[in-house]
Amino acid sequence: MVHSKQRAVVVAVGLLAVVAAGCASKATNSNSGSNNGGNKSSGGKSSGPFVVGYSQSNNAEPYRAQLNLQLQYYIKKYPDLKLLPIADAQQQSSKQVSQVQQFIQQKVNVLIVSPNEPDPLTGPVQQACNAKIPVIILDRSVNTSCYSAFIGGDNYVAGKKAGELAAKDLPNGGNVVELQGILSDQPQIDRDKGFRDGIKSNPKIKIIEHREAKWLKENATSTMQQWLAKDKNINLVYAQNDPMALGAYLAAASVHKENSIKFIGTDGLAIPDGGIRAVQQGHLAGTFIYPTCAEEAAAMAEKLAHGETVQKKTTLDITAVTPQNAAQLYTANDFSHKK
Amino acid sequence: MSATTKTVMPQLIRNERWGRVLAVLGSLQGYIGLVLVVLFGIISKGNVFLDQTNLTNAVGAFASRGILAVGETLVILTAGIDLSVGSMLGLASMVAAMSLVQGGIPPLLILPICMAAGAGMGLVNGIGATSLRIQSFVMTLAMLSVFRGIDRQISNNVSVGTQPVNSDGKLTKHADQFQMYGTPGHNIFGSVYYPVLAFIVVVVVFQLILSRTRFGRHIYAVGGNETAARLSGVNINRTKIAVFVLAGLLAGFAGPIDAAYSASADPLAGQSYELDAIAAAVIGGTSLAGGRGSIVGTLVGALILTLLDNVLGLNSVSDNLQLIIKGLIVVAAVVLQRPDLFSSITAWFRGITRSARSKGGT
Repeated sequence: MVHSKQRAVVVAVGLLAVVAAGCASKATNSNSGSNNGGNKSSGGKSSGPFVVGYSQSNNAEPYRAQLNLQLQYYIKKYPDLKLLPIADAQQQSSKQVSQVQQFIQQKVNVLIVSPNEPDPLTGPVQQACNAKIPVIILDRSVNTSCYSAFIGGDNYVAGKKAGELAAKDLPNGGNVVELQGILSDQPQIDRDKGFRDGIKSNPKIKIIEHREAKWLKENATSTMQQWLAKDKNINLVYAQNDPMALGAYLAAASVHKENSIKFIGTDGLAIPDGGIRAVQQGHLAGTFIYPTCAEEAAAMAEKLAHGETVQKKTTLDITAVTPQNAAQLYTANDFSHKK
Repeated sequence: MSATTKTVMPQLIRNERWGRVLAVLGSLQGYIGLVLVVLFGIISKGNVFLDQTNLTNAVGAFASRGILAVGETLVILTAGIDLSVGSMLGLASMVAAMSLVQGGIPPLLILPICMAAGAGMGLVNGIGATSLRIQSFVMTLAMLSVFRGIDRQISNNVSVGTQPVNSDGKLTKHADQFQMYGTPGHNIFGSVYYPVLAFIVVVVVFQLILSRTRFGRHIYAVGGNETAARLSGVNINRTKIAVFVLAGLLAGFAGPIDAAYSASADPLAGQSYELDAIAAAVIGGTSLAGGRGSIVGTLVGALILTLLDNVLGLNSVSDNLQLIIKGLIVVAAVVLQRPDLFSSITAWFRGITRSARSKGGT
């Protein structure tokens, strides 16, 4: 008896909570709904706060953590934009689908999406488009053209520039090893292809080993240790991201070969542990800043919120980090203290 | 008469010899997977594989996971499982890096801090799995997520490098000392690589605890037959909480190693390490049903995993093929290390010879 009474109470409380949650979500709905309506009635020229929703594929990647920081910073530059808490899909497409749909339900004024995968996210982007919400796609594509803008970097170019740097650093040719990200990841495929095209100008450069280190520093360390154990004459390490380049550097440093081998990375994050700092310290011969697209995304969100049209497809430049410009690039890209 | 002794004697001698060979094989059998991997390494890449630096590198790369596997073995022996060891290691490695870089804490003090943090996490697991009566699989799966979340929250998803430099470009004193925890190329006492030493010490200590102490016998008893253990006066809950705390403590102990090995604490560090830890324990002969296994076995399992990876890497086997080979060898190792393998083979062999002999007789 007591038991069933307790259970009844629990069920009642649970129901109440659900009802309350329902009301709350309705309240926000109608709120942002009226907001939206207000904008429309004033012909898209209202200065009222425009709500921006951002769906991030995975907060836990350092590059994406940087992107989040920068987007928050640049959105603040536009006083009439209000960024909702960033939704983190934790690398699960299904989660991202429902998060994007929640943003659509909330009737955000502008939606920014960093798709985890093209296919699963195509549907929700189409839904947003049908709901007349302007969508900005960052970096990875979706299989519909029904969006307002696409901003991305070019992984092929990032790989190619790294290859050209390798060709320049080894004018007399030499042995190169390549540390790859997860083999099936598109950035891996593009950076690999670009790098191989980049070194073509110097046929005396040979890639003697290449291995999947899954973008991870510790995997790169143990792989590099194995290559060094085989006593291969390695002149240059190309890693498809900076953590792997630095992992290989650690392995080489452990046998005092860090000065006779050159290391090239990619990503160029301005964090204490990142590639730009490593170039500054002379650990890496160079790295390449893969753009976060945050500044451009914020600018476009502002324009789209005011009903203006923007360029449909924007491909951003890859910036080379050299020992000469590293310090300046670090300050320019460091967002940890900027408010 | 003399004719029969002449034929019987050699057969007896042959049997005896065969028996001796069997006995040697039997005693080696628990290590046969490891022996095969090592043989494969020596045959394919002898001088490189046996090089001390290479072996140190290979074991060092797996040391933090090996230490997790020891804790995992204790939990599995009580018929539980701890899926959160990878997350605990990740959080401990982040605590180590942040204590060093932001706290300015001397490295020798960082180790006990990490171990205390790990033990605290283990205590949560233990209480959940006993007092709250949540199955350990579910409890630790939930904590896998919670600890990872805390790790990512305190780090703000940015990795923390453990090599801060002074204005003169040299490492700070603490950062320099911290490298002793396992940054490649840094040794203690002149030539000992700390992660390898730490792993071996942990194995020895916990093997002794299991085989020589009453607590060790309680662990086996709880996993072997919980009801019988309770009836004979073993405090089940206390034993279970203790193994979870120890698993957490060991994860905390491995935290600085993980941070020093990569010279940074990544918010994703340790992800999927629980699978490697469970694999090392199971390949080493620990039964997931509890009550059977040993820490030495887990050491063997860990060595098989890491040396196999090393040998395949030295031979430049393609990445996709490596995945297939690793999986198949794990299956083969487990089958070959089954304790009843040789007796069942001889039984089968005897069956064949007997039927052959009876055919010859007619």
